[in-house]
Amino acid sequence: MHRRLFVVVLACFSVGQLTLRAQDFKVFNRDVQIHGFASQGFVYTNTNNWLTMNSNQGSAAFTDFGINASTNVNDKLRIGAQLYDRNLGQLGQYHPSLDWAVADYRFRGWLRFRGGKVKTTLGLYTDSQDLDFLHVFALLPQSIYPTDLRDATIAHLGGDVYGNLSLPRRLGDLSYTAYAGHRSDSIYSGYVYYLSSVGAQIKSYGGLQYGADLRWNTRLKGLLIGASRLNEDITAKGSAINPFNPGAGLVPYSEVSKADWTNQFYGEYAAGRLRIDSEYRRYWRNQSLFNNISESFADIRGWYVSGAYRICKRLQIGSYYSHYTITNVVTGAFAVFYPPATDTNLPANHDYDKVITGRVDLNKHWNMKIEGHFMNGYGSGPYPNGFYPQVNPRGFQPNADALVVKTGVNF
Amino acid sequence: MKCAKLFLIATGLAILVSLDSLADNVKVIANLSVKADEISSTQLKRVFLEEGVSLADGTHVEPVLEKGGPVHAAFLLYLGISEEDLRTYYRTLVFTGKGSMPRELGSDAEVVAYVARTRGAIGYVSSSANVVGVKELAIGVPGDNVDRKLIVRVEPDYPETLKQLKIGGTVRLRVFISANGNVENAVLLGGNPILGESAAIAVKQWIYAAGRSLTVAEVSISFGEH
Repeated sequence: MHRRLFVVVLACFSVGQLTLRAQDFKVFNRDVQIHGFASQGFVYTNTNNWLTMNSNQGSAAFTDFGINASTNVNDKLRIGAQLYDRNLGQLGQYHPSLDWAVADYRFRGWLRFRGGKVKTTLGLYTDSQDLDFLHVFALLPQSIYPTDLRDATIAHLGGDVYGNLSLPRRLGDLSYTAYAGHRSDSIYSGYVYYLSSVGAQIKSYGGLQYGADLRWNTRLKGLLIGASRLNEDITAKGSAINPFNPGAGLVPYSEVSKADWTNQFYGEYAAGRLRIDSEYRRYWRNQSLFNNISESFADIRGWYVSGAYRICKRLQIGSYYSHYTITNVVTGAFAVFYPPATDTNLPANHDYDKVITGRVDLNKHWNMKIEGHFMNGYGSGPYPNGFYPQVNPRGFQPNADALVVKTGVNF
Repeated sequence: MKCAKLFLIATGLAILVSLDSLADNVKVIANLSVKADEISSTQLKRVFLEEGVSLADGTHVEPVLEKGGPVHAAFLLYLGISEEDLRTYYRTLVFTGKGSMPRELGSDAEVVAYVARTRGAIGYVSSSANVVGVKELAIGVPGDNVDRKLIVRVEPDYPETLKQLKIGGTVRLRVFISANGNVENAVLLGGNPILGESAAIAVKQWIYAAGRSLTVAEVSISFGEH
């Protein structure tokens, strides 16, 4: 682990000394832009292991990188694609994925289309949550942007209609996005990993995803407010240990959405060096389990308020409070294994996270962050939020503090 | 008295130099294929933030940036955004597949050359740049300053020494009015630099009616009996 960390730090120093630049070259007489990024983090927690890492002993299994290429085919058509890879504890495991691959056609400013594998527009940061260098924080508020569950909302294979409109009477600008497509989670993603803790081996997880986002740049300079809606129809298939007869071997396993939606409301205010964000998300998932012999009802709610201040060109500080709760009720045959979890005051059903952070930009392409998390609760219900039973075999402590150190480069 | 005059002249020159160093006179230039002769600050912002891909007359445009430097810093006033925020904005587009990084060029000459040969290209250079082969777009729609109603006007101080010497005249300022009506910057375009400095201090305290976005206007202020 230490050797790998050393190599990454050395690589960062090396690229920091070089002048990192976006690479442009020509293909069939067209300019092609190449951009990339990489980040390496280290996490230490004083109690529970977090984000599937052995963080209680200190873990550097927190690496990601990506590279993209894009070109303008003509005045209105742009194409591009990005590869992304990561290793986060037990997740990702360096299996690369196509992060996005789009053809974007701009008919008018108010009417554009993009198709392919498209980053999903949901709230302020869903589409940019992996891009560490764009954010002050090493980890975005996990109540809304759980990095272990990124696959759930990050992209869809389908199409978007989007655009930007100026409102009359100087009421500001309105941006809209409407989309539909297919979501497909990696088998190395957080929820699939969680299901392995109850004996389920998932072969495929995904389904239809459609929704819309509307955001208003108000007439008050720097104030943005918006709302997003996401509907999903997800099916998981695989095999599982029969909970009623564990010795009988594996049986087919399925999870199918009956109602699966997310509502998100958000606001952002930027004035000079100060930026304040706040978001609220409610995620409702009602699923039939094991060919409808059981049904699960989960109500997941999160919100945060964050503030960041740029002290000088190279130094920013920030803080946020992130509030996460989950309630879950299982009916039918599996109810005996999952007693109702409806008391959000219990640490198993919430995660309240107070965070302070500092970010230093060593140059335009290289940043370092140090961040403290002070968490109450571990929200490890049947839908996880950073804390997994597999890496906490002795159970959970109600409180956990975490130190996160992260460095990243981009060009 | 002679010393006072010399002091005033020296101060005036110093202010003139510092105003020049602000690159107060940024020119927006475009490829000859662009039909428009002028561009409003709102349109300029939409083009450079990739929210709009064409001007009101339908001409497709492609923004070009000048890499750092005073011209770029002055141009950011039109966009109403800091260098760091602009960079983050473009990176968000690039890495989420929702846009591309505009071409960045190192000097006025490079920007002019690129704009001259690239259909629809639109860029900015210092006012002293040689802009042969491209067209210069006027910034701001005539009547911009009429649209933004002046609510609070503060009269400038007429420096006592200049008043006694009967040095007066009219100064012209380019005024950057934020969406919420505050004057973010005032840059001297013409006239006595000392009077211009006094006028700029006053104008920065003016308050206009709130608007949709940054507005750029020209203001003339007279000192003495002219």
